[in-house]
Amino acid sequence: MRPPRNRDSADVNFDDSWNVLSTAMQEMYKKNASRLSYEELYRTAYTLVLKKHAEKLYNAFKSFVAQHLRDMVANELAPLASNTANSLSADGLGSTVAVPLATADQREAGIRFLKAVKVQWDDHCLCMRMISDILMYMDRVYCKELQLPLIYDAGLALFRDHVIRNKEFQVGEHIYAVILNQIRLQRDGDLVDTSAIKAAVLMLESLTEDKIDGETVYSRSFEPKFLRSSTEFYVAEAAKISRECLSGQYLVETEKRLKEEHERAMTYLSVSTEPKIISIVEETMITKNIIAVMHSEKSGINQMILNERMDDLQRLYRLVARVDPEKTDLRNSLMTRVTQQGTEINRDALEDLKKPERAKGVSAQNAATMTAFKWVEAVLGLKERYDRILNDTMDGDNKVQTSLTKAFSTFINQMSRCSEFLSLFIDDNLKKGLKGKTEEEAEAVLDRAITLFRYIDDKDVFETYYKSHLAKRLLGGRSISDDVERMMITKLKMEVGFSFTTKLEGMFKDMKVSRDMTEEYKTYSQEHDSDRRTELSVSVLTSTNWPVSLSSGEQSSSSTCVYPSEIEHVKRSFEKFYVDRHSGRVLTWKPNMGNADLRATFKKRKYGLNVSTYAMVILTLFNDVADGDALSFEEIRAATSISEPELVRNLQSLAVVPNTRVLLKEPMSKDIKPTDRFSVNVNFESHYLKIKIPTVAYINKTETEKERKETVDKVDELRRYQTDAAIVRIMKARKTLEHNILVAEVTSQLSSRFHPDASLIKKRIDAMLEREYIERSSDNRQVYNYLA
Amino acid sequence: MSQAETEEGGDFVLLVSSDGYKFSISRKAAMVSGTLQRMFEGAGLESQSNRVILKDINGVLLEKVCEYLCYNLKHQNNPGNIPEFEIPPEMALELLVASDFLDV
Repeated sequence: MRPPRNRDSADVNFDDSWNVLSTAMQEMYKKNASRLSYEELYRTAYTLVLKKHAEKLYNAFKSFVAQHLRDMVANELAPLASNTANSLSADGLGSTVAVPLATADQREAGIRFLKAVKVQWDDHCLCMRMISDILMYMDRVYCKELQLPLIYDAGLALFRDHVIRNKEFQVGEHIYAVILNQIRLQRDGDLVDTSAIKAAVLMLESLTEDKIDGETVYSRSFEPKFLRSSTEFYVAEAAKISRECLSGQYLVETEKRLKEEHERAMTYLSVSTEPKIISIVEETMITKNIIAVMHSEKSGINQMILNERMDDLQRLYRLVARVDPEKTDLRNSLMTRVTQQGTEINRDALEDLKKPERAKGVSAQNAATMTAFKWVEAVLGLKERYDRILNDTMDGDNKVQTSLTKAFSTFINQMSRCSEFLSLFIDDNLKKGLKGKTEEEAEAVLDRAITLFRYIDDKDVFETYYKSHLAKRLLGGRSISDDVERMMITKLKMEVGFSFTTKLEGMFKDMKVSRDMTEEYKTYSQEHDSDRRTELSVSVLTSTNWPVSLSSGEQSSSSTCVYPSEIEHVKRSFEKFYVDRHSGRVLTWKPNMGNADLRATFKKRKYGLNVSTYAMVILTLFNDVADGDALSFEEIRAATSISEPELVRNLQSLAVVPNTRVLLKEPMSKDIKPTDRFSVNVNFESHYLKIKIPTVAYINKTETEKERKETVDKVDELRRYQTDAAIVRIMKARKTLEHNILVAEVTSQLSSRFHPDASLIKKRIDAMLEREYIERSSDNRQVYNYLA
Repeated sequence: MSQAETEEGGDFVLLVSSDGYKFSISRKAAMVSGTLQRMFEGAGLESQSNRVILKDINGVLLEKVCEYLCYNLKHQNNPGNIPEFEIPPEMALELLVASDFLDV
C-alpha cells in the first residue's frame, strides 16, 4: 500500500530528525536500548522516508555505522591483537609457512582475541537488528524498490569491510591466523577451545560477499588459507609417518587423521569444507604415498599377508578404495604377490620331482602323487588364504577378485603338469583319501578340486589324465565309492558342460553293463557248462570311451598271451555268449588290466592269492612243474608269450618283493635277467590267508616320462581334431570369413577346453585348405570360402 | 474487543491514541502489525511497559485499527467464508495511512 503524498503539510528538518536517530543508535551500542521509545524512533524514520529523505537517511546510517566500527576496531580489538601480532602477523599476512608454535600466552591471547571479536560481532548483530527494526519502513519502501541491501544486510557488509577487512588493522587476517594456529595445535594433540573457533567460523560464514552468490568471507578468504596450510601439514606428516612408522601404523594414522578432519570440519568448521579437507588428506596421505607404504620391505602388503594382519589389510583396502575405485595399485600388488608365491609353489614341486628317489620303497609314481598332492594342497591353501583376505577385509570386492583369479590362473597354468597333478590329487582322494568320510566332507574336498579345475586352461589335458586315472580306478575296483565318483562327474559337468563328461559317463555305463553281463553269464555258464572250475568276471569297455592305451589294438602285440587251458575254455565260452547277444562286435581281451584269485597250496597251508592276470598265467605254469624244478625266464616267455616288459614286472612282483615272494629266483637279485630261473617257494608263509600281490609299477623313470609324452601327443592329436571340427563348424555356418575373425571364433569355441595357440589354428586352416574343406577367396587372400 | 482500562497484563497490550484513548488488545492481535510486533518484541521502552502511544493515530481511527487486527487474527487461518470487513468511506484514507505506518 502506498500512502497518499499530500497528507502532511509540515516539512521536516532532516538534521533534527537524524540527530534523534543517531543519538538513539549510539544508545543502542551502549546497550541502553531499553530507554528508547520505539514508537518515536520509528515515527521519525517513517516521516523522513515519507518526506523523500530516504537516500540521505540510508547514507547517513551507513557512514554512522562505518565510523562506529572503525572506532571500535581501533579501541577494542587492535590493542588485544597486538599481543599476538608478533607471532601471528607473519602467517596471517600471506606467508603460508607452517604456523610456528605459539607460547601458551600467545595461544591464550589468540583465543581472547577471538572471543573479543565475537563479543563485538554479537553486539553489532543485535544493534543492526534494532536499527533495522527502527528503519523498517525504509527497508520496505526504499531499499526494496531500489534493490539496495536491506539495513541489516548492509550492516553486516559494513562489518565485513570495516572490521574484518579494516585497512589499518586486518582483523580478518588475525582471526584466520589464530584459527589456523589453533587447528595446528589440535592436530599436534593439544586441547583447544573449539567453541571460540566455531563462533568465529559462524561469523565468517554469515558475512556474504557482494555480487558473488553463495560465497562468504569464510569460503573466499579463510577456506583457501586453511586448505593450503593443511596440505603443507599433511605432506610433511605423510613423510614423517612413513619414515618413522611401519606400514600398518601408517594406515592407522591415516585413518585417524581422516576421522579427525571429518570431525573438525563437522564440529567447528563448515560442512562444505569437509569434502575438500578430506580430499586433501586422501591426496597427500593416500594417493601420493600408498604405493611406497604397500611396497615397504619390512611391513608392506606382503608382510601383512604373511602375518595375516587382517586389520591392516582391511584398513589398506578401505583407504585405497577411497581414492581409487579401480584400486589398481592394490590389485597389482596382490597379483604380483600371488604370482610370486604361486611360482614358488611351482618351483618347489618341480624340485621335488627332480630329487632322486627319497626313501626306499617309494616308487617314482608315488613320489609324483605326493608331489602332486603337496602342490594341489599348497595352491588350494594359497587360494583359501586369499579368499579369506578378500572376503574378510575387502568385502569380496569384484575387481580385486578378478585380479586374483587372473594371478592364480597365470601361475597355475605356468605349471606344465597342473592337469596331471590335479587329476592325481582327485585320484588319490577317490582311492583312499575320502575313505570313511561323510558325503559332505567328500563333497568339500571335491569342491576344492573343482576350484582349482576352474583355473586350468587346458581342460582337455585334464580330461585325458582324469580318464586314464578313472579307468584304472574302475577296472582295479579301487574307487572307494561310486557315489563320490558320480558326484565328481556331476561337478565337472556343471563346470564345463555335457560334452566334457559324456565319455566319463560312458565308462560308468560300461562298468554297470559289464556287471549285469557277468551275472547273466554266470547263469548261462551254469546251464551250459556245469563242471566249470573258474569264475569269470568281465568288464566290456567301449573302446572310444576309454583311454586309448587301454583299449585300442595298437598294443595288441604286448597284451596277448597264451592262457592256460581252463582259462582259455572260459574265454571262448564267454566270447560265444557275448557274440550271440551282440552280433558284429569284436571283443579284444586285455590281460594287462585284469586280475585273478588263485588258491595255492604251500607246505604250511593254503593261501588265497590275488594277482594280475599275467601273474596268474605265470603261476599256473608251475602247476605242471614238479616241486623243486625250475623254469627259466626264456621258458616262461615261450610258454606264455607275454611281452618282455610285462613279464619282467610280474616276475618281479612274484619273486623279488619281500613279503609276497611266492616264487624263488636263481640267482637271487633285484633285477630280472633272461637267464634267471624260477621255482615255487614251497616254504612261503604269511600272516594273512588272503594275499594281494600288487604288480610292481614301472620303476623306470624314463617310462613315466614316455607315458607323459604319450599323453601330450594324444592331447595334441585330439586338439587337432577339435580344431578341425571347430573350423568346419564355423565355416559351414558363415560360408565366408576373414582369417582373423575365423581365428578369433575358433579360439573362443575351444577356450572352454584349452587355449589353442594361433600357430596351431593356422596349421589346421592350412590342412583344411589342403583337404579342400575351404578355399581362399579369389578376391582377397585373407578371406576363406566354405566348400560344401 | 473491549475498551477496558486495564493496563498491562501478559497477554494483552495497551495501545494509546493521540487523543488519549486506551485500547487493550490481545498480544496476538497486535502482532498482526509488523510495526507493533517490533515495538513489543524489541528492546525499547514499549516492550517493558507493554504500552505504546501512537501519536499519529486518533481514538476513532485506532478503534477501527484494533477491530481490524482482531478481525485479521480471527480469519488468518481459515480460507474462504470470510465476512466483509466494513470500512466507513470517510475513514478509508486515514485508515490507509495508518495501515501503512503499522505495516499491516
